[in-house]
Amino acid sequence: MYLFNLVSRAACRVLVVSLSTWLASALPAGAHEPLEAQSGTLYLKSSPDADAYEALRVATTMRAQVTGNVARVHVTQRFSNTGSDWVEGLYVFPLSADAAVDELYMSVGERTIRGEIQEKAKAQAAYAQARSEGKQASIVDQERPNMFTTAVANIAPNSTVSIEITYLETIPYRDSRYTLRLPLAITPRYTPGAALDPAAPLAAANAAWVNATIGTSATPERVTAPRQHVDITVELAPGFPVRSVASLHHAVDVKDDALGKEIHLSGNQIAADHDFELVWAPAVAGDVETAAFAEKVGDDTFALLVLTPPNDADEATQPREVTFIIDTSGSMHGPSIEQASAALQMGIDRLKQGDLFNIIRFASDYSSLFAMPQPVGDSSRLLARQFISSLRAGGGTEMRAPLERAMSTPPNASFLQQIVFITDGSVGNEAELVALINREIGKTRLFTVGIGAAPNSYFLEQAAAAGRGSYTSIAERNQVGSRMQDLFHKLERPALIDLKLLWPDHLPADVAATLPGDIYAGDPLVILARLPASPSSLTLSGRMRGQDWVHEVQIMRVGEQSGLSKLWARERIADLSRQLQFGGDREQLRTSILDLALKHHLVSEFTSLVAVDDVVVRPPGSLGHVEQAPTSAPTGSYWTTTGFAKTATPAGLLLACGLLCMTFGAFLYWPRYRRQMVL
Amino acid sequence: MTYLPNLRLEDWRKAAMVAALIAGAVCVTEAAWIHVKASLAQALIGAAWRREQAGSRNAQPWPWADTRPLAQLTFGEGTHGPKFMVLEGSSGRNLAFGPTHDPASVIPGETGNSVIEGHRDTHFALLRNVKIGDTLHVESLAGRNISFMVTDITIVDSRRSRISLHADGPRLTLATCYPFDAVVPGGPLRLIVTADRSP
Repeated sequence: MYLFNLVSRAACRVLVVSLSTWLASALPAGAHEPLEAQSGTLYLKSSPDADAYEALRVATTMRAQVTGNVARVHVTQRFSNTGSDWVEGLYVFPLSADAAVDELYMSVGERTIRGEIQEKAKAQAAYAQARSEGKQASIVDQERPNMFTTAVANIAPNSTVSIEITYLETIPYRDSRYTLRLPLAITPRYTPGAALDPAAPLAAANAAWVNATIGTSATPERVTAPRQHVDITVELAPGFPVRSVASLHHAVDVKDDALGKEIHLSGNQIAADHDFELVWAPAVAGDVETAAFAEKVGDDTFALLVLTPPNDADEATQPREVTFIIDTSGSMHGPSIEQASAALQMGIDRLKQGDLFNIIRFASDYSSLFAMPQPVGDSSRLLARQFISSLRAGGGTEMRAPLERAMSTPPNASFLQQIVFITDGSVGNEAELVALINREIGKTRLFTVGIGAAPNSYFLEQAAAAGRGSYTSIAERNQVGSRMQDLFHKLERPALIDLKLLWPDHLPADVAATLPGDIYAGDPLVILARLPASPSSLTLSGRMRGQDWVHEVQIMRVGEQSGLSKLWARERIADLSRQLQFGGDREQLRTSILDLALKHHLVSEFTSLVAVDDVVVRPPGSLGHVEQAPTSAPTGSYWTTTGFAKTATPAGLLLACGLLCMTFGAFLYWPRYRRQMVL
Repeated sequence: MTYLPNLRLEDWRKAAMVAALIAGAVCVTEAAWIHVKASLAQALIGAAWRREQAGSRNAQPWPWADTRPLAQLTFGEGTHGPKFMVLEGSSGRNLAFGPTHDPASVIPGETGNSVIEGHRDTHFALLRNVKIGDTLHVESLAGRNISFMVTDITIVDSRRSRISLHADGPRLTLATCYPFDAVVPGGPLRLIVTADRSP
């Protein structure tokens, strides 16, 4: 009887397993292929115990070559498998939001394979096939515009696979200096749920929302205390004498070489818990007000124009109405909330008699200092000070309601209406918020201030662009003063109004992104255009200090290796993606982005780089598993976290299967039914 | 049919019927056993807990038990609500016996976030009806009783989120699988109930 029980128990297990496999496969496939595609050859270990066994290490080396206004960055990720199983390695990493990722090289031992750009689904299929065939393969996907994933299949036990990813980006000239930013840490995103009715039991929670949440994202970031290390080298050849070079957050060694300077991190490696920022200034200030370059590729000419408005525009005489919004959610805990409070206090202190202001704080909920913006005065300043000192971080990040509230302030033509939004931007519903700002902003300007070691710059830049303002990042406590000074200097002075570009001979220029209407003091403008011919100059016009302003710029010819065409394509893709977020024609935009990305060999939301070796390395039947290397959390945040256990029993499934079996048995037992059956 | 000459269609039917009935009965029994084990273990551990509080040195819930209760969690006002013995360590085996405390988090009542997980279909099935403002009590072995109030209820994707262990004051986070009515276990969603110490 015991044996019989055992056999039937085994039969029942098989049934349960096959049923649940079938149920699972009937569900819509998850977006993150590498984790969920359990091909059967690789065994996925996803229990909390899996954390205890970590064979995968990823070490990152970054080399940036800066020529003029453009940086070519090589990111090398060495995936080392220290265990005795075959491993599929996953790694989520941040890059600049406007990085044009164009090359992938996979090196194993002596062999190097160049990656090809393909439509995302095709690339993923090619990767999955190589993985199940036991070939070495890698794929680079864009998860969000500033977040990418590398997956490497079939890393042999005790071996290393090197992945080199290269990208191009323009370097902004802002507030009289250039800044190269290499993002290293990821602030985990918070995706807010539909607000739950506090009185309703959870059974009423909206199931549609749950589906929508899962549908939006792909490979989750796995963020831990900084354990990954990084090595950085910058070769600086700006083409003009440099007055000063400084790394804002890391110790560096600076050497002079033939072309310029070489900057290297002091010590061998640093923890990747803080974005790397290198700033340099030209020896002659005001030297670089406008610069234009052109590259000829086939019949097309691609032009890059950099325009920096003068920093000495007159102060606006108009009084201002400023609404400050400050994020007090849990992710702001620690130094972040202190920086934000200090920045907010500076903002209040800079206001003048006659200005109006209000403060809104938010986390899961929001509250404001005043019901309506109030005049600046001794009592309102005192109330503001008390309000600021009472701010504590905790709770979720629900930005929508406070933004709507701030933008709903009635228009008032006698004031310059501005919103200053101070946050780390850790939200998952970025698109929805940007669309909201785009729709509701009216005449108001939105200025975003990113706080912390790794703010979500992509979102904050998009939000500022939609709000026709600008974005300021404050990484450290001691930067609050200078950066807020720059911001308020700007807020008080619109420098150039109604900007227009005039190309010679009325050339039809295809400008990659829509021109902003006006430019604030110290804010640079980078314009990328595609032209049918190569002009030698162009003319800019606008209004400055109440007068008409005209300026002619000479265009310098550069070689084909400069990558201006790729930068143009990247900028155009970014603009099309923005239209996609604001609800443009999805199919048409998708096709345009796909064509551009394939033509210019760029990673985008619809294209991936994939490299596949043609040699089978993994013997069939050998053990393997998937591992995701953790990405560093930014320093100063309390990202000590814990995962989740499996908190559902198979009781429901067993009961369902049991009843199904018994119904089937009963059906077989019933003779009348049997007779009617055609067997 | 040449290799099985003695079996006719009728015999196959009987064999299939017997197999289906037995497999069905085993499945149903296993399902029932999960629930019986969950309740029985709680009763035994509760008895052991009271013996230990009363000073007994023999506080083993059952002779071969190798787990110990950490605290008693009570839902609702007063002492009459549903009670659960919380075990240390979120292993699958412990979860079968009761809600478990994540050892990476602080002991309930200390400053910081204390994480307790439970099965959505046995012990923590009652989280389905928890509302913001509800009261919870945690009693430690030493007899200290601390009240918490539910301040937030949210649903997260466990592949995309983690629970922060940091909190400014004593905080309790209860986690269970979501949705409650899903048939197949192992889904990615979790229901997170956050409770802060009552003032």
